[in-house]
Amino acid sequence: MGLFGRNKEERGERLRLYYASDIHGTEVLWRKFLRAPEVYKAQVLVMGGDLTGKAVVPLVEAGDGRREAQLFGEAVSAEGEEQIHELEDRVRANGMYPHRMSGEELERVRELPEEERERWFEGVMLETFSRWLALAPERLAQSEARCFVMPGNDDPPGVDGAIESAERIEACDDRLVRFGDYTMLSLGYSNVTPFDSPRELPEQELGERIEALAGQVEEMSRCVFNLHVPPYDSGLDTAPELDEDLTVVTVAGQVSMAPCGSVAVREAIERHQPLVSLHGHVHESRAANRIGRTLCINPGSDYHTGRISGCLVHLDGEKANYQFVVG
Amino acid sequence: MSNGEAGVVGRAAPQVFTRKATGLVREGRTLDALFYNVMWSSVALTFAFFWLLYSFYYNGSNAILAFAIAALLGLPGAFLYAMLTQIMPRTGGDYVFNSRALHPAIGFAANASYCFWLAVVYGLYTTYFAAYGIGAFANMMAGYTGAHGWVTFGEWFSTEAGLFITGTVVILLSAAIFLIGGVRLFFRLQVGGFVLYMVGAFLLPMLIGLFGSESGFISNFNEYGANLGVQHAFAAMQHSAKEAGFASSGFDFEATLKSVSVFWFIFGFVYSSNYFAGEIRLRKRTHMLSIPGALAVCGIVLLVLTPLFTHVVGYATNGAFGFAEPASYGFTNYPAYPELMAIASGSPVLGGIAILGFSVGLLIWLPQTMLLISRSMFAWSFDRIMPQKLSYVEPRSHSPVVAIGIVTVLGIISSAIYAFTDWFSTLSILLGLTLTLLVTATAGIVLPYTQRAMVENSPYNRRVGGIPLLSLVGALSLLGFAAATAILLWDPGSGTSLAHNPGKLWLALGVYVVAFAVYFISRQIRRSQGIDIELAHVELPPE
Repeated sequence: MGLFGRNKEERGERLRLYYASDIHGTEVLWRKFLRAPEVYKAQVLVMGGDLTGKAVVPLVEAGDGRREAQLFGEAVSAEGEEQIHELEDRVRANGMYPHRMSGEELERVRELPEEERERWFEGVMLETFSRWLALAPERLAQSEARCFVMPGNDDPPGVDGAIESAERIEACDDRLVRFGDYTMLSLGYSNVTPFDSPRELPEQELGERIEALAGQVEEMSRCVFNLHVPPYDSGLDTAPELDEDLTVVTVAGQVSMAPCGSVAVREAIERHQPLVSLHGHVHESRAANRIGRTLCINPGSDYHTGRISGCLVHLDGEKANYQFVVG
Repeated sequence: MSNGEAGVVGRAAPQVFTRKATGLVREGRTLDALFYNVMWSSVALTFAFFWLLYSFYYNGSNAILAFAIAALLGLPGAFLYAMLTQIMPRTGGDYVFNSRALHPAIGFAANASYCFWLAVVYGLYTTYFAAYGIGAFANMMAGYTGAHGWVTFGEWFSTEAGLFITGTVVILLSAAIFLIGGVRLFFRLQVGGFVLYMVGAFLLPMLIGLFGSESGFISNFNEYGANLGVQHAFAAMQHSAKEAGFASSGFDFEATLKSVSVFWFIFGFVYSSNYFAGEIRLRKRTHMLSIPGALAVCGIVLLVLTPLFTHVVGYATNGAFGFAEPASYGFTNYPAYPELMAIASGSPVLGGIAILGFSVGLLIWLPQTMLLISRSMFAWSFDRIMPQKLSYVEPRSHSPVVAIGIVTVLGIISSAIYAFTDWFSTLSILLGLTLTLLVTATAGIVLPYTQRAMVENSPYNRRVGGIPLLSLVGALSLLGFAAATAILLWDPGSGTSLAHNPGKLWLALGVYVVAFAVYFISRQIRRSQGIDIELAHVELPPE
């Protein structure tokens, strides 16, 4: 208790927010994310999108209790439940989904048209995603921390429903939410990428979506933007340049880097000047820079190392400080 | 499976299904990573350093054998770096390896030490640029034209003021590249620089060696000396060397072993693609091919360059230059490798290109070193060990101006030290750089135990006799790096020998002590601000 009543923590003016993003289907990272309240003493958790993975690794029956798979470009086999479980854990730890299949099922999926195979992929993914979300009530049982989760441009539409209905998890995409003295504005869409991912919008439309939300914010000096895609040319969006074949461009052996963020996001930050702006999307571009008075942060992602890259944001009145953490 | 682990099978496995998502194909090519490592291993500069130091410290040494020994000591380390970079890709090199495997304070100290010695290398490169770049070019012009003005001009670049002023100017110019045009301008200039470096330091010396001969060199040298006022300059040089006690000794194993120090220069930098991987994901085999592969390329370059160079300027002639009095053959300073190549070419144009290639090889390092150090400073700043200002990026040029400003000041100080004192020699930086390699080798040994899940889930999770493969490679690396350290502490030519320069070991260790102090003071300051810097690398429990 402060001298003249409740202290800053109790009034919600000072709090610690933990932000991470782009875990791309790596289960161990989700499990770690849910441990942030006890280790980092964070009162608010924000998962900023791209939760789902990019690859399914079939574990195909090979007879005699054996299964075969492909991992790191090599053929591997496992025999008996214990070994198969170990192999599944390795696959999950590297941001991919293990899926037990028969040879016939593998052939069937292989022959599917691209659109149907994407739907099959989503089914496998959502099954795992729902299991992930079910971990939250138990893991956060001892904590009063609030946990916000938003999909990112790589997450298929099906994940929204799973997030909305999950216990102990609060959906925040495309809306404003409040914690303590602060308002958070969130949007998981990105600008258009060369990869044709599920949630992309042209710059103008992206700008309009952000503007519609920003118009509802009462106090920008106590507002946190949670926008999956970083602002253009901010140092938070520097990625390897790609040629027409989506191959990395190099000059004299050096990777040619170029900004790939969103102009609409940058304009929104310049116009509204929120206290903090949190971003993910560009894994290589771990950075914290200011645009005007706004502290813009992208903690990057190293999801396939089994460590979760995140950022602790210390909010204190109308001031913000940060610290990158790799947990 | 007999060992209880999932194993590799010998035939094609089921495919992996992928979906539409960003970043799936952001893979670097093996050849790019290989090229990057070869470039930054600076094999041509190392070759030049060998001949610069040969006559003073390594008479009787065999260059190829010395490189082979250095490669033997460094090869396990090449595999270790390849494995660590694959296990922890895109994370910024040994600062992260060591912080995670050992302790954040050790990671910071090792990285700060590496950066300190990289800053010291500025003085070496700038003074070499003045003396063996511009100075050698002026000497060559005097030798080919007989114009005394060139001699006076060249002499100034070997004076203390000449070394310092030239060094300061090139350091400021390299900082200006970033401030004016940012990283993109540097990359553009670098491409041109690499071309000149390749032509002047690789191709031309090879052609001169291939089409030249020792008798041709002697004839050119005599003509050159005559223009400088001494007839039969080659014989005069040999006579002077003999009077000073020079006798061609033939092969000397001890000198060869000591000269491993010079070739260790390659190993301070050949692992550079671990920083390359800080920006891009690479396939499993990429590092395995690109880091040890770069060593193989260095070996091939030396196997070609050494016999070609000694074909025109033999070991005995190189040795004699170190003993002879330069005035006896009309020179003001003894001619170093770039000038010898210029004389062997018999042409001021070809000679000029050879010297230019060597000079550009030195110059392109300056901004590149600025980038490397500033990246580390960013990491320290993000982890809140250093102030936030250190990672400030100027919006117009996209340049980290504060970090570049600090490196510029450190570079100018180093340049002054090299110009006005004899505290540091050509190879003095290697001991400090190698201490960081020793720390990384230790990190490799313990990583399978301190970060068990990370290693178990990586492609390098195998065990040999129950011991993790990574630990074994780490142990072999530690042995190799320790042997190299022992040679650096023994060889008087290294500038860090215990017998002649005992203070350098204490300086190298002192940098660690200061870095530890900075870390723990910073930790206290941050604590008072409500930030616990040790949280930066604390692993969250997954269960």
